[in-house]
Amino acid sequence: MNGDVLLRYAPALLGGFGVTIACWAAGSALGLAIGFAVALGAGAPSRALKGLLRVYVEILRGTPFLMQLFILYAGGPSIGLKLSATAAGVVGLGLYSSAYFSEIFRAGFAAVPRGLIEAAMSVGMAPGDILARVRLPIALVAAAPPIVNTLIVMSKETVVLSIITVPELMYQMQTMAAETFTAFDAIFAMAVFYWCLVEVVSRLGRRVEDRATAFLASRP
Amino acid sequence: MTHPMIAMRAVGKSFGAHQVLRGVDLEVQRSEVVCLIGPSGSGKSTLLRCVNFLESYDEGEVRIEGELIGWDLDKEGERRLMAPRRLREMRREIGMVFQHFNLWPHMTALQNVVEPLVRVRGLKKDEATGRAAAMLARVGLAEKAHAHPQRLSGGQQQRVAIARALAMQPRLMLFDEPTSALDPELVGEVLEVIRALAADGMTMLIVTHEMGFAAHVANRIAFIDGGRIVDEGAPRRVFHESAEPRVRQFLQTYHDRNAF
Amino acid sequence: MRFSVLFHSFGYLTQAAGVTLALSLAGIALGFVLGTLVCVARLSGRRWLERLGGAYVSVFRGVPLLVLLLFLYYFLATLGLDVPALVAAIGGLRLSSGAYQAEILRGALNAVPRGQGEAATALGYAAFDRWRLILLPQALRISIPPMINEFILLIKASSLVSVVGIAELTRVSMNIAAMTYRPLEAYVAGGLFYLAINLSLAGLGGLAERRAGIGAR
Repeated sequence: MNGDVLLRYAPALLGGFGVTIACWAAGSALGLAIGFAVALGAGAPSRALKGLLRVYVEILRGTPFLMQLFILYAGGPSIGLKLSATAAGVVGLGLYSSAYFSEIFRAGFAAVPRGLIEAAMSVGMAPGDILARVRLPIALVAAAPPIVNTLIVMSKETVVLSIITVPELMYQMQTMAAETFTAFDAIFAMAVFYWCLVEVVSRLGRRVEDRATAFLASRP
Repeated sequence: MTHPMIAMRAVGKSFGAHQVLRGVDLEVQRSEVVCLIGPSGSGKSTLLRCVNFLESYDEGEVRIEGELIGWDLDKEGERRLMAPRRLREMRREIGMVFQHFNLWPHMTALQNVVEPLVRVRGLKKDEATGRAAAMLARVGLAEKAHAHPQRLSGGQQQRVAIARALAMQPRLMLFDEPTSALDPELVGEVLEVIRALAADGMTMLIVTHEMGFAAHVANRIAFIDGGRIVDEGAPRRVFHESAEPRVRQFLQTYHDRNAF
Repeated sequence: MRFSVLFHSFGYLTQAAGVTLALSLAGIALGFVLGTLVCVARLSGRRWLERLGGAYVSVFRGVPLLVLLLFLYYFLATLGLDVPALVAAIGGLRLSSGAYQAEILRGALNAVPRGQGEAATALGYAAFDRWRLILLPQALRISIPPMINEFILLIKASSLVSVVGIAELTRVSMNIAAMTYRPLEAYVAGGLFYLAINLSLAGLGGLAERRAGIGAR
C-alpha cells in the first residue's frame, strides 16, 4: 500500500472511523439503557414479566449478531420497519448488547448484600431512595468490570456492521481494498488498528475499574 | 392509658415446614432493657426482626406503643399487609443495629449517619451533618467521620452503625447480636456505648451471647429455646435460680466454654 | 409472515446447521490444543514463553474475528492455496478460540486452591504426577461451564465465515432469502436453528455441570 492511496482515501477512512465510534457509542448507550430497564423488570414481582424478559435475553444471546442484523435490516421492511443501514446497525447493536448488559446489571443487583438493604429499610427509607442511594451505587461497582469488558466486545462487533453496508471503518477499508487491489495490506492495517484500539480501551477500562472498586478493595 | 413500648402476643412464624416461633408473649416497657438469650437457632433473632417487621410474623400480634406493626386488621379480623408508607413511618421510630454492622460501603462514616436524616427525616444537609457529627462524637468517633467503613475496625463500624440508628432519634433500639462478629478485644467498646444508652433511659431489646453484659445491663432476661420463651425474669433470678433445666444446661455450657 | 415458502428449505437449513456444528467443533477442538499450549506457555515460568503466550492472547482476542477471517482468506489466496475459504474459516475460528480457551484454562488452574498443590507436594508427589493426578482433573472440572459457554460463543461467531462463502447456516439463510424474496422468514428460520443448537448445548452443559458437581463431592 503506498502513501498516495492512503492519502486519497484518508477522508473516507476517517469518516469510517467516526461512524465506527458513533455506532459503538450510540449502540452501547442504547444497550446499557435497555439492559438496565430489563434488569429492573426482572426484579419485579410479576412472573409473566420475568418470563418474557428471560425469553428476550435468551433469544438475543442464543443467536448470532449477524443474524439479528439481517432480520432487522433485511427482514424489517416486510413488517413495515424500514431502517437505514446505520440505524439498523445501531439498533441491532443496542438490542444485542442489552441482553449482556441486563445480565450484568442483574448480577450486580444480586451482589448487593441483603443486610445493606435491610439497614436502609430499618431506618424507613423508601424503595426509590434505597434503589438510588444504596442498591444502585453498590451494584454499579460490582458491574463495572464486566461492563467495561462488554463494551470492548461490542467495539469489536462494530466491524460486523460492514456486512450490512454501514459505512464504518471496515466498510471503507474494504471499498478501498476493492478499488485499489490492496486487500491484504488493508486488512492487515485493520487488524493492527483494532488490536491497538482494544488494548488502549482495555487499559483505560482497567484504570476506571481500579478507581471504582478502590473503596471496596479491602472487603473480604 | 399508656401502652408498653413493645407488646408481643402469641407471635408465631414458620419458614416452610419449620416452625421458628411458637407463640411468644413478651412486653418491653419504656426505658426498659430486655436481653434475649438462648442457643443458636432458637428463634431469638427472628423474634427481634419481627419487632420492626423485617421478618413478617404469621400469627399473633406485635404492637409498638399500642399500634400493630406490619399488618392491618379489617372488621372481620382478616389481616392484610400494612401500607408500605405507614410501615416506613413506624420503622423510623425503631432503631436497629445488626450483627454485621451493614454500613453502606460507598459512604463515609458521616455520610452513613447523614443519609437517613436527609432522606427520611427530611433534614437540611447542614443540619443533618451537624446532628450526625454530634452523634459520632457521642460514640467516640468524631475523628473518624470522613473514613469509609472498610478503614474502620469492626468495633468502630458497629459504633457508627449505632450512631446511624440513634441519629434518627428512635423511641426504641433493637440490637441483633451486636458483638458476635467482633474480635474479642473490640467487644468492650461497643458494649460500653450500649451501657451508656441504657443509663440515658433508652428502651432496648438486645439479642446477645455476652452473658456478663446481659446480667449487668438488662432489667430483664428472656431465655428462648425452640421458638418459645422458656424462662423470663430479673437477671439474677434467671442466671442463678432458674428452675428450667434447659436454662441451667445452656448456662453451664457457656461457663465451661469460657472457663480457663 | 409466511413460513410455508420455507418448508422445502428445511432440508437445506438442517444440512447447513450440520456444517455450522462441524466448523465450530473443529474450531473448538483445534483451539483446545492451541489453547493448552498457550496456557502452558503462560504458566511455564520462562519469561520469553510467558510473553509470547501473553502476546498471542492479546492479539487474537483484540482483533475482531471478521478481520481475522478476511486476513487469513487473503493471505492464503496470495499463497495460491486451492481451498482458502475452508482453511481460513477453520483456521480463524481455531486461532480465536485458542486465545479464549487459553484464558479459560489459566483461570481454572488458578481457581484450584493453592493448598491442593501444596498437599500433593507435602505427600511427596513428583511434579508431573502432581499436575496429572491432582491439579489438572480439578482444573478441567472447573473449566467445564466456561468451555460450554465458549462453544456457544463460537457457534455464534461461526456465522461470520459466511463472508468467505462457506455454506453454513447464515450463508444458506442468505441464499434462501435471495431466492424466495422472503428475507424475514429466512433469517428468522436461520436464527431459530441457532437458538435450538445453543439452547440444547446450554441444557447439556447444565447436565454435565451437575454430573461433574456430584462427582466432585
